[in-house]
Amino acid sequence: MRKALSLAVLLVLALGLASALRGPSVGAEAKRGELFDEQKVNFGRRYNSRAREETGASNVVASVVVTYRGLDTLGEVAVLFIAATGLAALLHTGKQRRSGEEAEPSSLIVFTGCRFVFPLILLLGAYVFVHGHLTPGGGFQGGAVVASGFLLIYLGCRGRQPDRQRLNAVESLSGVAFVVIGLVGLAVGGSFLLNFLPEGSKYALLSAGIIPVIYVFIGLKVGSELGGILGDLSGARR
Amino acid sequence: MSFLSDYIHYIGSFALVLIGLYVVLVKSNLIKVIIGINLIDTGVNLFLVSVGYLHMGTAPIFSQADGAGKEMVDPVPQALVLTAIVIGVSVVALALSMAIRLYQHYGTLDLRKITELKW
Amino acid sequence: MVSPILLIAVPLALAFIIPLLGLISQKLTRYVPAAAMAFNFVVALLLLPQVLQEPWVVQTAGFPPPFSIHLVAGPLGVGLSLLIALVGLVVAIYAIGYVREGDVARYHTLYLLLLTGATGMVLTGDLFNLFVFFEILCISSYPLVGYRGDRAGIESSAKYLIQGAIGSSLVLLGIGFVYGLFGTLSMADIASSIDSVSPMKVFISMAFLITGFGVEAAVLPLNAWLPDAHSSAPSSISAILSGIAIKAGVYAVARVVFTIYGADTIPLLVLVVGILTLLVGEISAFSQNNIKRLLAYSSIGQIGLIVFALGIASASGVQGALFLVVSHALAKGLLFLSVGYMIYRTGSMEISSLYGIARRMPVSSLCFTIGAFSLVGLPPFIGFPAKFTVIRAALERADPVFTALVGIVLLGTVVEGAYFFRIVQGLHFRPPPESAAPAGAGQGEAPISALVPICLLAALIVAVGVYPSVLTDYLGPAARDLLDKAAYIHHVLGV
Repeated sequence: MRKALSLAVLLVLALGLASALRGPSVGAEAKRGELFDEQKVNFGRRYNSRAREETGASNVVASVVVTYRGLDTLGEVAVLFIAATGLAALLHTGKQRRSGEEAEPSSLIVFTGCRFVFPLILLLGAYVFVHGHLTPGGGFQGGAVVASGFLLIYLGCRGRQPDRQRLNAVESLSGVAFVVIGLVGLAVGGSFLLNFLPEGSKYALLSAGIIPVIYVFIGLKVGSELGGILGDLSGARR
Repeated sequence: MSFLSDYIHYIGSFALVLIGLYVVLVKSNLIKVIIGINLIDTGVNLFLVSVGYLHMGTAPIFSQADGAGKEMVDPVPQALVLTAIVIGVSVVALALSMAIRLYQHYGTLDLRKITELKW
Repeated sequence: MVSPILLIAVPLALAFIIPLLGLISQKLTRYVPAAAMAFNFVVALLLLPQVLQEPWVVQTAGFPPPFSIHLVAGPLGVGLSLLIALVGLVVAIYAIGYVREGDVARYHTLYLLLLTGATGMVLTGDLFNLFVFFEILCISSYPLVGYRGDRAGIESSAKYLIQGAIGSSLVLLGIGFVYGLFGTLSMADIASSIDSVSPMKVFISMAFLITGFGVEAAVLPLNAWLPDAHSSAPSSISAILSGIAIKAGVYAVARVVFTIYGADTIPLLVLVVGILTLLVGEISAFSQNNIKRLLAYSSIGQIGLIVFALGIASASGVQGALFLVVSHALAKGLLFLSVGYMIYRTGSMEISSLYGIARRMPVSSLCFTIGAFSLVGLPPFIGFPAKFTVIRAALERADPVFTALVGIVLLGTVVEGAYFFRIVQGLHFRPPPESAAPAGAGQGEAPISALVPICLLAALIVAVGVYPSVLTDYLGPAARDLLDKAAYIHHVLGV
């Protein structure tokens, strides 16, 4: 019964989506692979052509994410924070498996190997988010790489665990720093998240105003946050 | 048939969304439902990125090795998808923590058996 | 320089600070949401006279709309922020004493972020930003529903999450369509070019957006999550969910439909959905024995009434809807808060176990009675002018269909009156149950930290009921904010 009903719903949905695929946009003038009228992409074109002068970043997506749509990024950072907080709150009242008591400690080779690789992963992650305004990547991507380093520690080095309190502190401070930078922009230039640092020269590391600064904070926050989530999920002691 | 290959990303994204929706509606194992949610999110993100696609466009990044003259794709959907991916991950993380707690309470992840709340 | 962006930025920063504060002192974290909401209340109050004439369009990052995200702080946005701050403050004070178990610091973090999401939603002028703040609201409410960690709580929060996640994906799908069709995400910009696209595609994108936001707004048939979630959550969270969160969902739907698509596109379907929601909600509430489930179904019913009022699509209809939003937020908040300690004292959510509790908890029972009567629509409480405005707006249309629908609204009110009178009578006049010892904790009235917010809400309900002009003066401009598409576009884009 439920299967039949859901298949019916899906059929209606599929028809609705398919009808959007047909229509005057899909005509001889539309180039291959584009569904919607090409002229609608004017908005994006404007960003592509002006982003470098207006923000100084070579990665246009970075300038969109941090500057033009910075409030969205702030909200996104908040959402990740909510997930980490909610997850910890939900798992708080459940049974906690003390790590190190039940799980057998890892062998020497695994332990040493993980300890050796962990800083390299952190370095890679830091590279990704520090260069976010120049190369593909950015705060979230770099933070995810950092978190995979933490995952390695949780899985491989069972005797030692990262200091949760310090992770939480880094997480909170980075979040506050993001908002404070925005407020500084408000105070200095009258606009929240205004790019008030100098734009610098193209392709240089210290360029694009506040974009790399914010990306660093986002990278730290996401890395520590995802690391905390992984720790909570793997049953580590809070 | 070129319709299929030209618009494969749209067809694929819609297919992902529909498959994910099917999984969420029909499957009774909570982990499968969470995977279904993830599928829906992936499909929607793919759809969003495809909206900004320009035929033969290149990534919207200026680099010193510039491919001259190529049009760059729209950067805005990519920024939107960045946000959407993170939001999707957050939802899945929360759902997994609920799955852990439900398992601790009920000993099973079968949604048909988790019916403490009735009418 | 008091900018509306502070309404979002300051609570957000404070929410990030709570864990740091928790390192110093756990007890201190309980007061942060109340402090943040007090700040928001003051700022919104200061901004309100300013924006009544012309909305304040706040740009971010120094770029003009539509190239950056912008806030549109109009009378509706600032007014709703004021309501959110007020109800949020009251419930936060209540929660200081009410939330004792579990991870208290994290509860308050999530609670503050929920309110920040709601505030951001009503202030923003960008469609994707609306979605992001909507997600902040929803995702912070999922763990709060399951905060207690008991079987019912986790189960209902899991089901709520699954349905909410589908809703959010539908919204994203709709936003993808909108961006593809219009090439912009600023709501004013989309509104100004709405006529250049075929109606069929407009309809598809609108359908996705409305369905997605409608899951949180709890309109039929998307409200399966609500009775479980609102009844299994801690009472302070039930209060804020019923009072603010579902209204935010309705706001999102209203903003999308009215401002982007235009008030003339509202089909009769909206009215029918509203009426059906009203009927299903009230009739389901009537047969409930669990007080919180009853209140949850009553919330569904009231949302149906608000949707119906919006569907009338006239100035007085929208004013009635806004009036109802305020009235329901105050009344339902009051009901859940007063019931919270009653349940705590008796250890049960069954209505029969609450009989005769007025002797032990006179103030809570009196306030519950005030809230109940206001919800039904009796004078001199705020519910009366609210419902009256809606009914009058419907009758103004002078359409036999509308008159018939008004009849159904009155029928719903009668049902509502029936079950609320039954409860009030039980609270005050029925003898308490014969059980040997009450299963709950503590004796006597609720503590001061709970009574202050409860009495404050009751006082507001009476005050605005007696002097409705305090509110109605602002409803006109607020309704215009929603209805007047051309003015909205003009203020944001300058065209």
